[in-house]
Amino acid sequence: MENLTKETIDKGLEVLDTKNDGKLLTHLNSCVHCGLCADSCTYYRANPEAKYIPATKVDLVASIYRKYQTFGGKAFPKIVGARTLNEETTKEMVDLLFGACTMCARCVSHCSIGVDITYVIKKGREMLSNMGMIPETLQSTINSAIESGNNMSISEKDFVETLEWLEEDLQFEVDDDDAKIYLDQKGKDILYTLNPREPKFFPLSISAMAKVFHVAGESWTISTKMYDVTNYAYYSGNYEEAAIITQRLYDEAENLESKKVVLAECGHGSRAFRWEGPNYIKKEYPFDVITSVELLASYLNEGRIKVDPNKIPEKVTLHDPCNLARSGGIWKEQRYILNECVSDFVEMTPHGIDNLCCGGGGGQLAMSEYNDRRMAIGEIKAEQIRATGAKIVATPCHNCVDQLSQLNVTFKLGIKIMTLGEIVADAIVMENEK
Amino acid sequence: MPTLEIEGKVFEVDGDGFLSEPEIWNEEVAQLIANHDGIGEMNEKHWAIVKIIRNNYEEKGMAPMIRNICKETGVRLREIYELFPLGPARGACRVAGLPKPDGCV
Repeated sequence: MENLTKETIDKGLEVLDTKNDGKLLTHLNSCVHCGLCADSCTYYRANPEAKYIPATKVDLVASIYRKYQTFGGKAFPKIVGARTLNEETTKEMVDLLFGACTMCARCVSHCSIGVDITYVIKKGREMLSNMGMIPETLQSTINSAIESGNNMSISEKDFVETLEWLEEDLQFEVDDDDAKIYLDQKGKDILYTLNPREPKFFPLSISAMAKVFHVAGESWTISTKMYDVTNYAYYSGNYEEAAIITQRLYDEAENLESKKVVLAECGHGSRAFRWEGPNYIKKEYPFDVITSVELLASYLNEGRIKVDPNKIPEKVTLHDPCNLARSGGIWKEQRYILNECVSDFVEMTPHGIDNLCCGGGGGQLAMSEYNDRRMAIGEIKAEQIRATGAKIVATPCHNCVDQLSQLNVTFKLGIKIMTLGEIVADAIVMENEK
Repeated sequence: MPTLEIEGKVFEVDGDGFLSEPEIWNEEVAQLIANHDGIGEMNEKHWAIVKIIRNNYEEKGMAPMIRNICKETGVRLREIYELFPLGPARGACRVAGLPKPDGCV
């Protein structure tokens, strides 16, 4: 690593300015080193070295704070464990904060005193972002989003052709030539978003939601200008870029006069737009924002669609995306949906807000240099799935779908991975069905 | 840089096993990666998919849309996922020697 300039170091240290940030000050100073977080972390469980303990990662950031902002750290750095921000500590930060954390926040819920560990990790990532040290593999996906409007650089022409192709498929599926995938329509109740991997490579989940919308008689549209639900800058710690991406979806919802933005099945995207977004762009949304999981549950609850659980007789288990369940408060809705739509639903152990990360969170899917670690922690998830005996794993997150698909092949699980939209679409009873 | 050794041949790859130098790709390399992924001897449909992905990459610098793969090969969407169990990105694009696509893949 090249020598760090004073300017670069100062940019990193700016993030640790605790004068106006009581939350940061509290969480940098509160860890009592009880060690309870160790076993909550799949990185530590897969490879029990002290450096992987969440508390160690917090202390890495806190040690730099102590060096520059406490009397003890300035006067007796060795005694209080204060460290200089230099090549060595920066390298460790990149390796542990980017390369050994999925930001799943399971450690936070296991912390004996409630330290918001992922908040500190995010601050560490923000420092590295300020210093220009975001891993290139992660930044590449953000650059695609900023430059092209979606994180896979899909052209508008390719996107429109794909949705027209899916519309033909929808008309055949529901046997109705008037069934539509509405593009760029103003004044609809719902602006639906997508993860770009759906139009690019995995469009069955778009077809599924289009079928559900059709049967529910929904007023909906998809924008051809800004449909991307993801925001990888949430992971990189570059909140200027996170704001640009958030603002684009905000502007498109305003432009199309949509009443409600419905976020596709995407854990981090839901969190980034719904919960973090107003902070990124420093204003409230004038429209409602809900996840498609909540929307699907409401259709079932209100009787807008009818389903038959006998249509899905296989044993089904559920993987809870961390950002949706543990950090987003949505964990009952997906269970309600599965209990309505499948005949044999079984939980993993643990599950819900205590669920284990699939291993692909925190931007890990993008950062191929840490692939070995990702698969090592993924093996814990794979065995958790295997123990259920399920043939189908449902999960409301396309990022989790991709990681689980790789685990399926690597660890020979013999499962099928489906989004909740796909589950609901398969269970739907059409009006003309007897 | 990580390497991937298949049947005595060594390739420089990224952490996900995508070729670091896409230009060294040829049909022999494709078959070796397919062997490594457990696909085995590639059939006509595998080759049709891989060649369309490769051509698109050489012309436009990126993988084609799944729609174009289906339209140009005549292979049904669901069958593509069966032919490449790791999917179009981690499976077919890797066999076609492309760098790893951006995004949630």
